[in-house]
Amino acid sequence: MTPLQSHRLKKGLLWGLRVLTIGAVVCFVLFPIYWVFATSFRERIDMFRLPPQWIFKPIWDNFKYIFRTMPVSRWALNSSVISVGTMMLSLLIGVPAGYAFSRVEFRGKRVLLTFILLTRAIPPLVIALPFRVMMQSVGLFGTRTAVILIDTVYNAAFTAWLMSGIFESIPVDLEEAALIDGCSPIRAFWSIALPLSKPGLVTSALFAFIFSWNDFLFALTLTSPPTATLPLGMLSTYGVMSIGWTYMTALGCFAIIPVILLSLLLQRYYVSGLTFGGVK
Amino acid sequence: MSVLAHVLTTYRRYGEPMLVGWVNGCFKGKRSLFLFIIPITLYMVAFFLYPVIYGIFISFYDYSLGSPRTFIGLQNYVLLTHDTQSINSFFTTAIFVASAVLSQLVLGIGVALLLSHESKTMNIIRTVILLPTVFTPLVAGLVWKALYHPDLGLITYYLQALGINIGRGLTVERSTALFSVILVDIWQWTPLMVIIILAGLKSLPREPYEAGVVDGASSWQLFQYITLPLLRPTLAVALLIRSLDAMKIFDIIWAITGGGPGTSTTVTNLRIYEVGVQHLRIGYASALSNVLLVLGVITGVLFINLLYSKKYGGMR
Repeated sequence: MTPLQSHRLKKGLLWGLRVLTIGAVVCFVLFPIYWVFATSFRERIDMFRLPPQWIFKPIWDNFKYIFRTMPVSRWALNSSVISVGTMMLSLLIGVPAGYAFSRVEFRGKRVLLTFILLTRAIPPLVIALPFRVMMQSVGLFGTRTAVILIDTVYNAAFTAWLMSGIFESIPVDLEEAALIDGCSPIRAFWSIALPLSKPGLVTSALFAFIFSWNDFLFALTLTSPPTATLPLGMLSTYGVMSIGWTYMTALGCFAIIPVILLSLLLQRYYVSGLTFGGVK
Repeated sequence: MSVLAHVLTTYRRYGEPMLVGWVNGCFKGKRSLFLFIIPITLYMVAFFLYPVIYGIFISFYDYSLGSPRTFIGLQNYVLLTHDTQSINSFFTTAIFVASAVLSQLVLGIGVALLLSHESKTMNIIRTVILLPTVFTPLVAGLVWKALYHPDLGLITYYLQALGINIGRGLTVERSTALFSVILVDIWQWTPLMVIIILAGLKSLPREPYEAGVVDGASSWQLFQYITLPLLRPTLAVALLIRSLDAMKIFDIIWAITGGGPGTSTTVTNLRIYEVGVQHLRIGYASALSNVLLVLGVITGVLFINLLYSKKYGGMR
């Protein structure tokens, strides 16, 4: 073998190894997701067949069954109300705060910012337990409002932090020109800075939605059966029919399809939110 | 100028009722942006600071839901030092966080390097591998629980088919239960590490590599002497974010093992839930969560110091 040939062979082998590794990584990552969707279309008896049957005839029975026997639409409604509520409240509180952080110097700004970053370091139960007692004493325990309120603590903080970064990247010249022409700062925020910060707004909204949609612990500590969310409903399916995987995965589809679709449709915004703060 | 004087002058200037005058005064100039801080400040005080302070306050009481509370000073904390279950839960948390996050770091660097090359296929792969990060953690837990199932789980089946002895099942054996939940955390969060590192790799300057190649460095040397040092700030932030999040682990373990077998996967969060919500011993649960809180803050501060320290070249 000539040196050139052996070089080519080595390169080819390395390339093959690389493709194989990437393939293995992708399979590992995707398999559980595939499994959820596939199992939700299987017959219940399929679960007990080992070795597993990779080819099967898809059926809709599992979906029909869960809708017939469980309050799926109520769980989905609760999840939606909590997610949308958190999203709106977080933006309402967080966006103006982020703007003020990026545009004015004031005493206590550092304290407030540190405080906001601290929310990320606080284990959820540290505030969830006192929150539960608090909500019980004001009569909000077991309501969707209670969950919205606690989800917003985390998300308003994230929104303010993210948006201050976004506003900082928008040049102030336009707003200053408007101020000189007699525009009020609040007007300048509303009609100039806000429209320019749309990508940041989408990212904040997306993260608030995903956070509350996926939340389990706060819903577990603060809701009652009528206000249960999808993850709580899932838990009951695993419990009741000890191995009702086909039903569990059918319900699981409802829990994960919205967030998967959102993250794929708004992929650019999702990635920018994930890497925000990571590289700066 | 004090607030009062400010209110008085605006009152005189506008000749309107005092509050209206003050509010109007606020709308003049950049000062008005203070109004933007008020909602978040009030919100954080009411729903974040207050619960945290209440948690500290109540940890000095013997307080169980439904019975009157009595002040007992530091006894909850003293009790904690004798409570093996709680102490073990801290160790379990530490092992969980350290092994999950370090594996994610190493795997993250590896996968990021594999995927760093720009092409259409790579773009698709980068999108696809992010899917676990949006997966509802509780659903992920239940799915993996099914895959790990001792009799019917696919993982169990194939491991046994390969002739590997896994006892009664990965999640059922004490020795492997913690590992099995760590694996799920790795599955879910390595992609985040990958995407942060990829963004970091993209922002690196080209010149050092060109110089390195001219000097005849091998690709391993390029990685060791150029990529790794330049990437350090990114890696530190990624480690910080992941460690703080890993300390919050609850859903996955709750779903897969519920803390068992025995207490082998009972991390502190599960212990707090058990004590506070199931046994309703709010005072003691608060003491536990305060210790966890302090540990979390220490981790955060340590990392931030590391990040800004001169030794590692600093952040900026």
